[in-house]
Amino acid sequence: MWKNYSYDYLKKNKASSYSIIIGAFIAALFLSFLCSLFYNFWLDNIEGTRQEEGGWHGRITGELGAEEIVKISHFANVEKAVVREETAGEGQTSVDIYFSNKRTVYQDMCSIAESLGLTEDACSYNYQLLSLYFIRIPGDDKPRMLMPAYLAVVALVCVSLILVIHNSFAVSQNSRIHQFGIFTSIGATPGQICTCLLQEAFVLGLLPILLGTFLGVLLSLCTVWAMTEFAADLAGGRQMRFGIHPVILAVILLLSVLTVLISAYLPARKLSRMTPLEAIRGTDGMQLKKKRHSRMLSVLFGMEGELAGSALRAQGKALRTTSLSLTLAFLGFMLMQCFFALSGISTDYTYFERYQDVWDIMVQVEDTRIEDFRKAEQMEKAQGVQSSVVYQKAKTLCSLPREVLSEELLSLGGPEAFVEGLSFNGEGNLLVGTTVMILDDRSFEEFCREIGVSPSLSGSILWNSFWDSTHSNFRYPVYIPYVKEKMDTIKLPNAEIPVTALSQKCPLLREEYEDYQLVQFIPASLWKEISGKVGGAEKDMYVRILANQRDSLDDLNTLEKEMIRLLSPEYEIETENRIQERLDNDKMIKGYEFVFGAFCALFAVIGIAHVFSNTLGFLHQRKREFARYMSVGLTPLGMRKMFCIEALLMIGRPLLTALVMTIAAVAFMIKASYIKPMEFVRAAPVVPVFTFLLTAFAFVALAYYLGGRRLLKINLADMLKDDRT
Amino acid sequence: MEILRCEGIRKVYGTDLNQVTALDHIDLSVDKGEFVAIVGASGSGKSTLLHILGSVDKPSEGRVLIDGADISALNQTKAAIFRRRKVGIVYQFYNLIPTITVRRNILMPLLLDKKKPNQEYFEQVVKVLGIGDKLEFLPNQLSGGQQQRAAIARALLYRPALLLADEPTGNLDRKNSREIIDMLKLSNRSLNQTILLITHDEKIALEADRIVTIEDGKILRDEKRG
Ligand SMILES: Nc1ncnc2c1ncn2[C@@H]1O[C@H](COP(=O)(O)OP(=O)(O)OP(=O)(O)O)[C@@H](O)[C@H]1O
Ligand SMILES: [Mg+2]
Repeated sequence: MWKNYSYDYLKKNKASSYSIIIGAFIAALFLSFLCSLFYNFWLDNIEGTRQEEGGWHGRITGELGAEEIVKISHFANVEKAVVREETAGEGQTSVDIYFSNKRTVYQDMCSIAESLGLTEDACSYNYQLLSLYFIRIPGDDKPRMLMPAYLAVVALVCVSLILVIHNSFAVSQNSRIHQFGIFTSIGATPGQICTCLLQEAFVLGLLPILLGTFLGVLLSLCTVWAMTEFAADLAGGRQMRFGIHPVILAVILLLSVLTVLISAYLPARKLSRMTPLEAIRGTDGMQLKKKRHSRMLSVLFGMEGELAGSALRAQGKALRTTSLSLTLAFLGFMLMQCFFALSGISTDYTYFERYQDVWDIMVQVEDTRIEDFRKAEQMEKAQGVQSSVVYQKAKTLCSLPREVLSEELLSLGGPEAFVEGLSFNGEGNLLVGTTVMILDDRSFEEFCREIGVSPSLSGSILWNSFWDSTHSNFRYPVYIPYVKEKMDTIKLPNAEIPVTALSQKCPLLREEYEDYQLVQFIPASLWKEISGKVGGAEKDMYVRILANQRDSLDDLNTLEKEMIRLLSPEYEIETENRIQERLDNDKMIKGYEFVFGAFCALFAVIGIAHVFSNTLGFLHQRKREFARYMSVGLTPLGMRKMFCIEALLMIGRPLLTALVMTIAAVAFMIKASYIKPMEFVRAAPVVPVFTFLLTAFAFVALAYYLGGRRLLKINLADMLKDDRT
Repeated sequence: MEILRCEGIRKVYGTDLNQVTALDHIDLSVDKGEFVAIVGASGSGKSTLLHILGSVDKPSEGRVLIDGADISALNQTKAAIFRRRKVGIVYQFYNLIPTITVRRNILMPLLLDKKKPNQEYFEQVVKVLGIGDKLEFLPNQLSGGQQQRAAIARALLYRPALLLADEPTGNLDRKNSREIIDMLKLSNRSLNQTILLITHDEKIALEADRIVTIEDGKILRDEKRG
């Protein structure tokens, strides 16, 4: 049938092929983008695993001598065997084994172990590396979902592409339902019709698939490049190199062709199953099942409005996918934009703005006790340092008799109303969690002065505040006093220490205290005395530094380097600086935004291309309908008006739906994150959303413009004659 | 010898409220080589019957046997091949494929079967039907009568054992109608083809061996003639 029918048909009806061509192109573009991107992620994963774990496949540990090692390396599938430098224990040697065929690693390792007289316990495997090759070793108990996840995403994309583009095929095929009815009536078998339609799909799809594949690879190249540019830090500073393999290309082509063919097959099968007369009559076509008037449209836009409304309704099924993909594209984009706006506000609140004046440089000194730290003096005196605090945290329990709790807290039911599983000790005292912040003596004395008590290193200062979470939320917390103003000592495990003061304030540190904890500050010298009894502090300690020059990255970087120079190599440290961190965070958000945005944009492209192709096909299919309108006197101006109304309706409904859903979702997010609505309104992503919507609208308008122009040019008599002859 | 037989054919369109019984219990038997005219008022169910006999439509009840085979029991593929080889149908509305030339339209049943057309016979048919100079046109470049003749040519070309024609002369003038009826009769005689023809034209009906009159979906009269 190809030679005798399709060729001529396709040549004479190019317009009806556009939607299919675009569909195939998009399918290939999407699949090739995704596959080659995943392929590169995969390569990067392998590279990362190699760097972290090494490129070995199996490892044997035991009492191995030179003889055994030679034996291993002569084993059939073994590519090479390398003795590990680090010893594995007394008299034990570890040998890394690389195999040429990774599939049989497990079996080979077992037989190697056996031939050396070792048990299976002597074997270990590079699970992570092998899992990247879909090789699962028995005994690996981690889920290793990366590769299945990649495959699942690709499969999901294939299915959704089929869902989207099968509709283009359906539109094109249904417009010829009458012709296929004639074919079957004169003896074409369903098989012949299906084959013919698949052939058409293949021929139409071939070039777009090739082009789409090529562009998709190009796109993923750009993405990989952009990701290394913007988000280098995400990948642990590893440079991603772009690569593509012929096998991957073949897989992409195969997947695209299959996607297109399946998309064509679904409606083709349905069509070929119709009885000839059904098909000739075209009952599945554009008849309205029920007659309904669009009263509102006719009031708003007159007769043309009513025509447009009923035309869209008659096409209900074919347009449903268009509506859906548009709605999803709008929704996805708007939600993403709103989400980033909200999370931006939120991080500002909880982090950047909140700690703006609290720190410039943080040094985390690993495995060091504060009482053993010797560099505090030097750091405080260093050039460019305005002030510094050395501190360490310890978490323990303290026992509070009920009488000391504040009236306010008691009236809310005491700490046990907020913390589950609070216990009491033998004397009936509450055991509440306390965070002990150990400050170096100098900082502690300074804090004493700050809150107006005479400096003393003999006791603890309690931060007398408790978050009233029944009357406030975490974003705008209200604090009530924890204990009564009068308190002389506080009982820690095995120690009772004097309370120097109760304070409503706490020293400015970049710390987030756990909810409902009693926070207290004690000087390092006091801690030295009691630490043996109370228990250990956390293993790391911190130095917080405020700089003289706080506003330039260079200054902070210089200071950071100076701190590193002071402390290493004696101490193992990690440092952060405020401005750099802000920049890194921004960069990371940008990276995420870029990746999400790229997905959304691709999604939108699908939606828009679909609208475009559908609209063109839709208009083409309706040429006789228009001819009838015109033959009874609808003017070209009236037609244009009708097109405009249709375009508006086509995009308006998905837009409204998406808008309502977005508003609901944003309202929910705002409520859940306790951000004030006005604050969101100020940061609302109006410009990107508008740009996006306008672009979508422009495309629909363009499709209508192109389709409409064609229609208005066609000779009326030709149109009326059409194909029912 | 019986070539066509239908038993208890019923056809109901629509559901529940607006049900239309187009055919109501039709029994009919046609012998090989017979030339049967089917007449009846508009809307009496003639076309519906023809479609069911040609297996392009399914009866709601009853069965159709052609050459002893129950075509209502065939699957779609078998039914299509059967139609292609055994039955030629000329529709009331000609049903030509608009995007290919008249020549291809006429040859299509053969092409579907991957058979070479008999050139001589082809020439003869198109000549008698008077569309020899229109072969390279598209269907909608032809007049209604010319299209109808192309549709007839398509039905005749496979030399089907059974030819079903729904008002093949409805759009033609007297002279042209005459020629087409003669052509059908010739084919009927020389190929021993069985022909069922629907017509409103009494003169044409009188040419047939047998006239079946349908009214309201039932066979009202069935008269054999001389
Ligand atoms: N698809 C359909 N749906 C519902 N009713 C139908 C359908 N096709 C035909 N009918 C009804 O079946 C009856 C028989 O129709 P049919 O086409 O067989 O008439 P006909 O005898 O061929 O008439 P004409 O001489 O006008 O061609 C008519 O009443 C018609 O309304
Ligand atoms: Mg009829």
